[in-house]
Amino acid sequence: MMDLAKRVIKQTVNDKRSIMMILVAPLLILTLVYFLLGDSNYKPTVGIEKGSLPEPLVTAMEEQHMHIKKLPSEAFDEPESYLKKHEAVDALFEMNDSSVSITLVESSTKGAKAMTAIQDALADVNPAAKMNISYVYGDADQTLFDSLGYVFLALFSFFLIFIISGMALVRERSGGTLERLLMTPIKRSEVILGYTLGYSVFAVVQAILIVLYAVYVLDLSSAGHIGWIFVMMVLLAIVAVSFGAMISVFARSELQVVQLIPFTIIPQVFFSGLIPLDLIPYHLGNLCYIMPIYYGAAAIKGIMVYGDGFAGIWMYLAGLLGFVLILFLINMQAMKKFRRL
Amino acid sequence: MIEVENLYKKFGKHPVIQGISMTIPPSEICCLLGPSGSGKTTLIRLMIGVIVGDEGTVKIDDVNMPNLSMLGDIGFMPQNDALYDDLSAEDNLRFFGGLQQMKKAALEARMNDVLALVDLTAHRKKMVRDFSGGMKKRLSLAASILHSPKILFLDEPTVGIDPVLKRTIWNQFQELKHAGTTIIVSTHVMDEVTECDKAALIYNGRLIAYDAVTALLAETTSGKVEELFIMASEKEGARL
Repeated sequence: MMDLAKRVIKQTVNDKRSIMMILVAPLLILTLVYFLLGDSNYKPTVGIEKGSLPEPLVTAMEEQHMHIKKLPSEAFDEPESYLKKHEAVDALFEMNDSSVSITLVESSTKGAKAMTAIQDALADVNPAAKMNISYVYGDADQTLFDSLGYVFLALFSFFLIFIISGMALVRERSGGTLERLLMTPIKRSEVILGYTLGYSVFAVVQAILIVLYAVYVLDLSSAGHIGWIFVMMVLLAIVAVSFGAMISVFARSELQVVQLIPFTIIPQVFFSGLIPLDLIPYHLGNLCYIMPIYYGAAAIKGIMVYGDGFAGIWMYLAGLLGFVLILFLINMQAMKKFRRL
Repeated sequence: MIEVENLYKKFGKHPVIQGISMTIPPSEICCLLGPSGSGKTTLIRLMIGVIVGDEGTVKIDDVNMPNLSMLGDIGFMPQNDALYDDLSAEDNLRFFGGLQQMKKAALEARMNDVLALVDLTAHRKKMVRDFSGGMKKRLSLAASILHSPKILFLDEPTVGIDPVLKRTIWNQFQELKHAGTTIIVSTHVMDEVTECDKAALIYNGRLIAYDAVTALLAETTSGKVEELFIMASEKEGARL
């Protein structure tokens, strides 16, 4: 078993692409996600009719995080057509005695920023309309990256190790080395454990790198102890190795592993926390219980957002350990396809 | 000694091995001769015990196969090179030696021997991905004999290699035989039969002839193996 684990480590270290994929790719993608989901500091441009709004409201709007563009009244005759022609303007805001109307180019982040700025300005001139919003977890300044960053930690630890280990096992079959390996006195259980142990080393290094980078460089906040995040990420990666081993039994080539991704990985992404599970209709959210990534992502969310310790995550930990055990037994049976003993 | 008794194997509904019985004495080279798809590789895998026959038995030194502990006495060189490209030659050998539970000092000493035997000592630290086809073949042979197996199975060992290297490899097989190793070689190259003590002609999963090579060739008018094979397969075709 140790020989196999050592070989996996040595072989992976000698393959620069695998090392890049395990250690460098997650940091690059995480950085990209940080910029994509982080606070863009975008200042929306809102058009108002020259002279039509009360002066205190205009002053309040100017104090908000937006550009004000004073437009002639013709622009408001057909606001949709004006916005189509003037892409630099995100919203048109008009007010008369009976109503307030806002026309947005589309329902997007830019539109939402324009809406928030207008609402804040209205609240400033009319304190009775001002709402005090408080949060049990996090605060109003949190970016989307702060809210969803944990999902990517879970996704990386699962997906990248799954790809590397699944591909390596298929290559082992197609290259004939599995056959040669199984013609030695090694036990089937030792083959599976050796593989798992070998890739676990990379899972540990990957988890340490990703968590330290996310927390200390990208400033992803964690309410709980980051040690528990390591534990969950490593456990999730161990499930990924076992999952990759299982999938490799059904794939004859590396291409077939890729072809199986839409059936094995993509559905799991939807249950990783990107979409609240109770919003999924027909109780389909319950499918999460058969998806390993759910347990990892839910636990990491618990640690990072709710500040959970062992008491809060033990059931997810047990769930992942259950997956490790079930997949080990499945793989033991599947290996019989290659050697009966 | 390898004893195969009334062995049958089907893959799905397709019969691959059909009632083969044969005994291979120790310290001999026995070749399994037959066209592609005749069942040679399956017969080797059944003998080693990685797959189990639907009927019949295989015994190696009176031990019923499959038997995990017997795999330590068996060496296997598959058709393809079956090496790790991302490891050096010596790391490949170190890995396979480790799986054969060789002790570190013994393994290092034996590695020196086998690398010298296959003339790869100068390339031991090179990555296998940088090896030529012939070098990979020689390293594959080194990996299969590293643990000094009593029985060596070679599945088409000389496919795709040049005549000079082929000669070198056959010389190595003869040396191993004289050192007491039983060698079973599958091949579809008729010329190689003359290198062997015994030949088993396999056609459509059946054993159509099995005897000492000299005795088999004596039955032919031309003294060529091709004639023997054509005669035997025609006889088998008529029987079917």
